[in-house]
Amino acid sequence: MEIEAIRARVKECIQKVTGIEAATISDSAAYESDLGLDSLSVLEIAVSVEEQFKFHATDEELALTRTVDATVELVTRRICVEVA
Amino acid sequence: MSIRPGVVVTGIGMVTSIGAGRREFWNALMAGTCGFGPVQSFDTSQFGVHLGAEIHGFKPEEYVQKLDPHSIGRSSQLAIAAARLALTDGSLDLAEIDPDRAGVCAGTTSGEPHYIERFDDRYVLDELKMVGREFITRYPCHVVPGHTAMELGLSGETMMIPTACAAGNYAIAHASDLLRAGKADIMLAGGADSFSRITYTGFARLGAIAPEVCQPFDRNRKGMVPGEGAAMLLLELKEHAVARGARIYCEVAGYGLSCDAHHMTAAHPQGEGAARAIRMALEQSGFAPEDVDYISAHGTGTSTNDRLETIAVKKTFGQHAYKVPISSIKSMLGHTMGAASAIEAAVCALTITEGRIPPTANWKDQDPECDLDYVPNVARKHNVRIAMNNAYAFGGNNSSVIFAECAA
Amino acid sequence: MGVISSLGDSPASLHSALCNGQASAYEFHEPKLDGFRGRGSGRIIAFQAETYLKGRNLRPLDRTGQLVVAAAKLALEDSRWPPERLAQHPAGLVLGTMFGSVHTIAQFDRRSLEQGPACASPMDFANTVINAAAGQTAIWHNLRGINSTIASGSASGLAALGYASDLIRYSVQTAVLAGGVDEFCFESFYGFERAGMLHACDVPEPFPVPFQAGRTGFAVGEAAGLLMLEEWTSAEARGARILGEMRGHGSTYSPGEGQEHAVRSIARAMTEALKDASMSPRDVSCISASANGSVRADSDEALAIKSLLNGGGPEVPVTAIKSMIGETLGASGALQAIDLVETLRNGTLPGIRGLEQKDPALPELNFCRKQSPIHGNSGLINSISLDGVACSLLISAPPALA
Repeated sequence: MEIEAIRARVKECIQKVTGIEAATISDSAAYESDLGLDSLSVLEIAVSVEEQFKFHATDEELALTRTVDATVELVTRRICVEVA
Repeated sequence: MSIRPGVVVTGIGMVTSIGAGRREFWNALMAGTCGFGPVQSFDTSQFGVHLGAEIHGFKPEEYVQKLDPHSIGRSSQLAIAAARLALTDGSLDLAEIDPDRAGVCAGTTSGEPHYIERFDDRYVLDELKMVGREFITRYPCHVVPGHTAMELGLSGETMMIPTACAAGNYAIAHASDLLRAGKADIMLAGGADSFSRITYTGFARLGAIAPEVCQPFDRNRKGMVPGEGAAMLLLELKEHAVARGARIYCEVAGYGLSCDAHHMTAAHPQGEGAARAIRMALEQSGFAPEDVDYISAHGTGTSTNDRLETIAVKKTFGQHAYKVPISSIKSMLGHTMGAASAIEAAVCALTITEGRIPPTANWKDQDPECDLDYVPNVARKHNVRIAMNNAYAFGGNNSSVIFAECAA
Repeated sequence: MGVISSLGDSPASLHSALCNGQASAYEFHEPKLDGFRGRGSGRIIAFQAETYLKGRNLRPLDRTGQLVVAAAKLALEDSRWPPERLAQHPAGLVLGTMFGSVHTIAQFDRRSLEQGPACASPMDFANTVINAAAGQTAIWHNLRGINSTIASGSASGLAALGYASDLIRYSVQTAVLAGGVDEFCFESFYGFERAGMLHACDVPEPFPVPFQAGRTGFAVGEAAGLLMLEEWTSAEARGARILGEMRGHGSTYSPGEGQEHAVRSIARAMTEALKDASMSPRDVSCISASANGSVRADSDEALAIKSLLNGGGPEVPVTAIKSMIGETLGASGALQAIDLVETLRNGTLPGIRGLEQKDPALPELNFCRKQSPIHGNSGLINSISLDGVACSLLISAPPALA
């Protein structure tokens, strides 16, 4: 899957959880400091992304995924590995 | 401040992973016994954590005599056991009281979770027709005090206050209000929760469960350990207790209840709501922070709770925060959910009569942000006249109940 | 007061619909029960949380949470408690509920069973605690006073009103939103159905009629209702509009099997309420019964009312609004309280819709069959759970202005 498609779907997950319009979310937005999200919402986004892309992130991976970019990178890494 | 009728604790009973009944439980607590082990009641192989604080070897038929123990859920069984233990401990013969003026007020987080879990098992297997009448008669959480009242033949006010992990305190607060208002002669107040797959799944999902040990306030603490249990306190007006020659543990001097209105699962970052509950409890009981000799902490062992709870104590106690010992028995019992603050209330009563305080077990390294006297690892002799029991719950529910040595 | 119900989202519209004898048209659509008609049960068709809760993310709220947050908004507006006032004066919330959201609990559990615990939703977990809706509502509306949840089965709402009244009477609370909620969901509906408690499909009446001969059970609905309770002098001091007064309440439990225990327990709850209010049965202008079409429970209550009023003068009119609103469980007591306040204000008591033939086994009571004028200024509400809890509450109209 192309990275742009992944990014778009990640932003859709964020919109579903938070109500924030996907089109307004910048690629480098940090969940807590830029989007003002609490820890529960960040975790919920992670679960939504896992469900969307059908993989499980480890707790260590989740702890490092604090921005939109980081989530996109995690997904790219994991689904390519699963496909390979 | 107007003189309020005194409400006293005359009996305590509990069923926990480290012992049942006052003596066995207290001895285990003083010895720092921990009730943790690998979860046995369901399969945790798909989880990243496996630790729980379940009660092993509980025999409901030892306590449930009037009702068929198999016709009620585990939380009801535990609540009944705790109630019977409290009545025996308080030397109260039910035949001598007016049942219309005796009630049960209990707290819980999950109620009777096994029934909804079995419902769900059937749902996913497409076997819903196997669900019988028992689901609706045994599942809704108010059956826990209801079954207790039914078992004991009590017909006064019976109420469930399901304010999750602070519920026991809420139940004790309400029961004491009922007694003061003259609406009951005796009340059994406490809480019960049984080990729940749903609760375990949720806390595991939040990354809140410790992999190996519960170590509240420790620098390397990694979370809480879900458990189960029940405790009941026998409460009555002081004049009623004195008239029947009851042994009095202490008075329920006052309480404070507040809401953070901030976040569902995380406490207010400045401990604002918790501080308000503490202040309200002190004001209602007419004490100053310097009067408090011991604090039973909520102390779940999660990074956030222990830090924010420390902030709240410092905010309200000022410099005295460094002088008053504060320990968490969740370090030994795990988090018994709705039973927790009821068990901890019983412990507060015992610190007053026994002159000893329980430790915070498994404490090794100091966290610079948690620098109070948490009574690390070893129980200690300590003269306690006034004890404070703090408990906090999902939904931002904060509670503090103050127990005081009973003036002659 | 604030209410979200199948018959209206304002106290006036609810009361008007009840007086006009309008039955609820709940919507029943449960794929797992294809072919089953649900006879009168279901969810509120027109409820859209966005109508009441604009501009904020609703994802954290489940349906129970949405119902309460919406009802709270209406109640706070109706009682003139704007955000500025709430910021200065913490108001509390006491919410009665039978189940919290058993649907959220079950969905959370099933997702974990079917997809593995790593797929469980953290936001849903936050709503699996029975006090979740009370917590969510406090967050939404900045309610920082006492926050409590009361579960007494279908008597939860009335129990919450009693609990909150006593907090104001006996402690330092001066303002508490109190009432109850329960959403309609598959899990609780199915549970009632499996227990044989629901209105049958093969009888003429489409909606259950309390006290009726041949009644077979109740219909499960949903609602949320909240009343702003305030300490009298502080309400007066802020120029509040006073709609009624909580005079007293009583709560009992029936620990034994058998009708005798149940009847005695309900009668005692009413007597305790009157004693708490320092009133006598003669002071009661009307009774809002808990009756919902249940075979045993309606009978227990009728016998209890008879024993209370026996020889007490002219028969007090008895209504049963569940003949129209159905059994809304934790919300029911709150809805009865809201309707009673409206009844005392405009002097018209709703009738028991469809009551043509009272069950001959029941005592003669003054069953109000259609809307009727009432005289006097106090009403008694009963709320009785399916399993032994009996609550009663007395409300009076405020004294007329001089």
